[in-house]
This record gives sequence, C-alpha cells and structure tokens, in this order.
Amino acid sequence: MSATGPVNGGGLRARGLSVGYGGEPVVRDLDLDVPPGGLTMIIGPNGCGKSTLVKALARAVRPVAGEVLLHGRDLASYRGKEAARHVALLPQSPIAPEGISVRGLVRRGRYPHHSLLRQWSPDDDAAVGEALERTGLTGLAEATVTELSGGQRQRAWIAMVLAQRTELLLLDEPTTFLDIAHQYELLELCAELHREGRTVVAVLHDLNQAARFASHLVVMDAGRIVAQGAPGEVLTAELVADVFGLACDIVPDPRAGTPMVVPHARHAAVVPGGAAR
Amino acid sequence: MTPLERTAASGPRGVVTLGSRVALPVHGRQLLVGAVVVLLTAVASVATLSLGELGIALADLPSAVTGGADGADAFVVERLRGPRLVVALGTGAALGLSGALFQSVTRNPLGSPDVIGLASGAGAGAAVVALMMPGEVPVSLGALVGAVAAMVLVYVSTGSGFRNPGRLVVAGIGVAAMATAFTQYVVYAVERDKATALTAYVNGSLAARSWDDAATIGVVLLVVVPLALLLGRRVEIGEMGDELAGVLGAEPQRTRVSAVVLSIVLSAGAVAVAGPIAFISLTAPQIARRLTRGTGAHLALATLTGALLLVLADLVAQQSPIDDGLPVGIYTMAIGGVYLGWLLTREWRRGSL
Ligand SMILES: Nc1ncnc2c1ncn2[C@@H]1O[C@H](COP(=O)(O)OP(=O)(O)OP(=O)(O)O)[C@@H](O)[C@H]1O
Ligand SMILES: [Mg+2]
Repeated sequence: MSATGPVNGGGLRARGLSVGYGGEPVVRDLDLDVPPGGLTMIIGPNGCGKSTLVKALARAVRPVAGEVLLHGRDLASYRGKEAARHVALLPQSPIAPEGISVRGLVRRGRYPHHSLLRQWSPDDDAAVGEALERTGLTGLAEATVTELSGGQRQRAWIAMVLAQRTELLLLDEPTTFLDIAHQYELLELCAELHREGRTVVAVLHDLNQAARFASHLVVMDAGRIVAQGAPGEVLTAELVADVFGLACDIVPDPRAGTPMVVPHARHAAVVPGGAAR
Repeated sequence: MTPLERTAASGPRGVVTLGSRVALPVHGRQLLVGAVVVLLTAVASVATLSLGELGIALADLPSAVTGGADGADAFVVERLRGPRLVVALGTGAALGLSGALFQSVTRNPLGSPDVIGLASGAGAGAAVVALMMPGEVPVSLGALVGAVAAMVLVYVSTGSGFRNPGRLVVAGIGVAAMATAFTQYVVYAVERDKATALTAYVNGSLAARSWDDAATIGVVLLVVVPLALLLGRRVEIGEMGDELAGVLGAEPQRTRVSAVVLSIVLSAGAVAVAGPIAFISLTAPQIARRLTRGTGAHLALATLTGALLLVLADLVAQQSPIDDGLPVGIYTMAIGGVYLGWLLTREWRRGSL
C-alpha cells in the first residue's frame, strides 16, 4: 500500500442529496453511507441516476439540495485539489485530449498532488508505474490513447484513476468495452483494492457480477435508493421484477454461492432436459 | 552539459528542482523546439531590418539598434522598421497565445478567435471608435468592446455556449461576416479615402506603426502573459472535460471563463494596434502542437510561434516584389486560408465536425 494512499477508510456520505440538470432533479432526496473500506456496487435501470449520484459524490456536479460529506465535512467546502486527493472518479464517458499517450494520461492523475511550483512529486513515477502495471498497460505506455481499442482505452482511464492514489475510488461502469476476461480481471482488481483497505464504489449493469463481487449492493430506481445491503439479502426475484421489469429466477451462483439472475427468456433455445416454463 | 541539465541532475530525470519548493518537469523536445523558434525569429528580425533598399548593412546593425546610428539608418530603425518589427513581434505573440487559450478551452482546433469572429468584432469596434468618435474614446477600448460583443453574440447564438464545435464554427463565421459588413458600412459612411481606411480595419496592417503601438501591445502582453502561464496547467487538465477536470480539482468553469477573458483581451490588444490580422491565432497553436508532437495547450510555444509567423509574414509583405503596399493581413489570410481548408477537410473526414 502506498504512503499517500488509504487513511483509516473513507467516510463518504450523502444527506438529503438532490441533483439535477436544470429541470426536475434526477437524484431525489437521497441518503447514502458508503461503507468505509467496502466494495459497493450500484445497480439500476438506464437513466435512473446512477451516474449522476457518483458524479455528485465526486463533486463533478453540484447538488441542488442536500450535501455530500467527506470525513464529516461538506465536500463543497474542500479546496480544489484537496478533495481530489481523497476521491477519484472514472466518468462513464471521459474525453481523452488529442494526441495524448497512455503514460501522459495516467500522469494527469497526479495533478492533485502537485502545486503551481511543484508540478512533480517524488511518488509520481512509482504511482504511474504501479497504475500501468495493475491495468496491464506497461507495454502500451507510449501508445496514443485515441488509437487504442475501446477496452485498452478503458483500462488507460482506470490507470489514470489509480495513479491518483486516493482512498476512495468511484468507477462508473468500469467494465464497459471490456471482453469477458478483462471484465473479470477488472472486478478482481476492484476486489484487490478493497482487500487493501480502499473504499471502492462501482456502477455495474451485470447483476450477477455485482452480486458476486460487492460487499454492499445499492439498488437505484428513478433517482432513489430502493434497496441496499448484502447482495444475498437484497437481490430477489421480486426486486428484479419491480426495478427492471424482468421476470427471473434467482439461483445460487455455482461457484460463489451469491445470488444469480436467470431471466425467463421468451425465446430461449430449447435444450433437451432444460426446465422450460 | 548545459546549466539546465546540471540542475536537473540534482533531482529526478526531466525535472528541474530548486530547493524543495520548486520542481518543474521539462520536456526536452519542447525546449528544443522553443529554442529553434526563437532563433528563427531572430533571423527573421535581422532580415526585416537589413533587407532591401533601405535596409541597414549587417555590419552596422549592432550599433544601429543600440542607438549608434545617424541619418538614414537612424530613421529606418527608429521610425520605419524598428517599431513595425516590435509591433509585429508583440502582436504575433498576443495572437498566438490568444488562439492557444481559446482553442484549448473550447477543445476545438477551429475554435480560434479569428475564425469565430472575435478579431472581426474587434475590428468593427475599433472602426466605430476611430471613425465616428475620433479622439473621444481610445481605439483599444473600442476593439475590446467589439470583441466582447462578438463573443457574446456567438455564445448566445450557438444555443450551447462554446461547447459544440460545429455550431461554434458556423455561428462564428456568421458573426465574423456580420462584423465585417458592419465595418464596411461604418467606413463607407464616414471616410472619404475609403480604400485605405477599410484595409486597415478589415485586413490588418503593420505599415506605419509607432512606438506608441509597440507600447500598447507590450503592456497587454506584460499583464496577460504571466496570468496565462499561471493558468496553463489548469487549462491543460481542462482538456479532459469538465467532469474529470472538476474531480481533479482544476475548477473547469472558472478556468474557462478566465482563459476566454484573457484571450479576448489579447486579441483586442492585437487588433487595436494592427487591425484584425487573420489566421495567426488559428495556426500558431496548431503548429506548436505538431512540432512538439505532444498534448496540452502549449501556451508558451504558441506565443513564440505566433511572433515568428507574423514577423515572417510581414517580412514577405515588406519585401514582396508584387506590391510593397499590400498589408500583411492579406498574406496571413492567403496562407491561413489554405491551412484552414486543410484543417476543415481533415476534421470533416474524421467526422468530428
Ligand atoms: N448532462 C446532463 N444534462 C441533462 N440531463 C442529464 C445529463 N446527464 C444525465 N441527464 C439525465 O439525468 C437522468 C439520469 O441520468 P444518469 O446518467 O445519472 O443515469 P444512469 O443511471 O447513469 O443511466 P445509464 O445506466 O444509462 O448510464 C437521465 O434522465 C438523463 O437524461
Ligand atoms: Mg450512467
């Protein structure tokens, strides 16, 4: 674990949080305690406000009401780079500056640790190197980000977030663009960060992956949290039907024993011996 | 070993340290390119003073610029070419920096003050003040008001501020055309010797500049350049989009407003002393970026490149066998037009416009 890294777990909380983009708020009067040192996964249908919530938790959008508390203090009262030394965010669709290399992008994650006259810190090289290594990008460090494949680019962004070396990491759909093996590699990375004592919050669309890796599952619908807790208790057939409008069975994951969603697909291939309903 | 490398050796590689307070990364390539640009600018400046019929012989140049000349040489240095050269250097630098700031915060290589009507607006403002209320209001104030008005018009008429690259360019070209038409109207309504007066407000010229002009642009640079350099790192982080820049603590909204304000002041200053000179602020940052093959706003290098470009263009304007009366703005327009066409086609092919 790094010297500038985790300090006694991250305390991030939302109180009466409402966030909007001018019209009706899309996150409404929401309370959330992000479990310090936990691996929290947020699930919910498209457009329910997951991205908006994590953006507000990282100060990328301003709340219209309520507040986000970081270590008990209003996040809005932190000075520029100070909050960025505690909380990192991987946005859902980040923009890569034209012509930037992977290393250049990852190095920008060090910005919060710099000042006007000290645009370099002793930990920079180690942090950048470690971030590249953990995302398997060491060999691609000098490549141009815009010329990478979607999955490689996604990993470059994750590396940038890691280089920030914050105790809190918020990842908005970190597995998009990744092939199945890299998806699990990334989820393992989240689990590893979690074991190291960092607080990780990730928005995920795959309910099975969320249930399998989360220590805390948060289910959102229409700007509110409708359920949260241990995946085994939260993820039920009723909830999936209510929130996603999808009829399904919940069976134990044969490997991990965590809840696994098996949808009642109408057009499934008929397998001899399968329990068709 | 240069002194710089020696300092760097005390810290980590590629970082210049000074005690424990200062640690600045240096990019070898950027330094090299910067040095080459400065050298070329010096060569072009010498050529400006010494070429042609009135030119000062190279051997006499050192004494002439230090005030040791008399007669014809003194006239050339003190009145004719000296102030013109200094104004070209300062105006070019201001335009280069203005363009780099604006293009960076709009994340758009075409989001340049001269393309989107800032310079034309400043020209119109200057024309109104100089021709309709001569002596009452300083021309530079007129240029500033015109520039601000043009930018407000562009900002409002895109419906999405400076964010959408395509709309920004289209609205900007419209505003630029309107401003130019307005300038022509003002000139024709007021001035008798229309052709020359119009040239000065539509094309930009460096003919017959005085030390007063040099002082004006000098003061603008003296105030704005340090502020721009302070803003440089944030502008660079801002290229990652508002959300991420906000999370990283680079205060994107405030940074953008500051950068746009500085850019407008620089362009207005340039227009006040030289008229709306086209395409320096579009091309200088792009050339700087390509030369270093890097990212970021390249504020310092774009400033140097702008100065080089304008001095070169003015050298051509002065020594051109075609017509020595042609204003420098026509030359920058011709070269920049070709470049703009190339840039537009490239963006269009890539589907980003
Ligand atoms: N920048 C924005 N401006 C205006 N409205 C927005 C903006 N971003 C999101 N919204 C709206 O806010 C609502 C919630 O969006 P949000 O991105 O938080 O959803 P989400 O749960 O992350 O969805 P998805 O699963 O598709 O990523 C949506 O209705 C969306 O239209
Ligand atoms: Mg989302």
